[in-house]
Amino acid sequence: MEPALRAGDWIVVTSLSRPPRVGEIVLVRDPRDAGNLMLKRVAAVADGACMIVGDRPEASTDSRTFGPVPLTNVLARAVFRYGPIRRIGWLW
Amino acid sequence: MFLTRLLKPTVTASAHCDLPCGVYDPEQARIEAESCYKIIEKYNASSDDQFKTRAIVIKEKQAELAKHHIDVLWSDYFKPEHVQKYPEITELCWKAAKQCSKVKGSLDLAEAKTLLDMIDKIADVWTKAGGPQATRVAKAAAAKA
Repeated sequence: MEPALRAGDWIVVTSLSRPPRVGEIVLVRDPRDAGNLMLKRVAAVADGACMIVGDRPEASTDSRTFGPVPLTNVLARAVFRYGPIRRIGWLW
Repeated sequence: MFLTRLLKPTVTASAHCDLPCGVYDPEQARIEAESCYKIIEKYNASSDDQFKTRAIVIKEKQAELAKHHIDVLWSDYFKPEHVQKYPEITELCWKAAKQCSKVKGSLDLAEAKTLLDMIDKIADVWTKAGGPQATRVAKAAAAKA
């Protein structure tokens, strides 16, 4: 997800009371491995599922590999980075 | 420090992923390292200058490939949970990658042997970490003779 997110970033997420919107970074439960949480960007939403992709498609495993993710797997939306200090800021 | 501990996230999410194929095996690095070993043996046994020059060029290429495969294992296969369980893997990969550089610039068979031993240690951790089942496609049962 570079450059939007980098390894080690500290992120605040909020639960979603509505379906995710295209362009938002969401916290998703990996459909292949329920123990794995991922942060990806929403590319499309339709029929109770969304397509999620990484910002660096050449190095990302995402909906292009595992298909659309049910919205029930979308746990939250990333809104704010509070660490590291030099990169503090909103994520939209 | 207290504030840092208080603010530190408790849940980790991955924002990057492995390459889609997900196949990792230290054997790839070992084969390249074996090439280096054999090339050095052949270099030492030869008196043909042209052959010796070619041997050096090829060995340097194979050593670089071994380094690449070790880097891929380290950066793509081994996950934080592996490092937590097998903390030695960090140093093993780091030292093995450095050893590749040594082999690249050396014609000492002992250096190539050291690299093979280091890759074998990485392979031990890879096996203990479930690498064969997690990353390789099972072979069909051997055909009967």
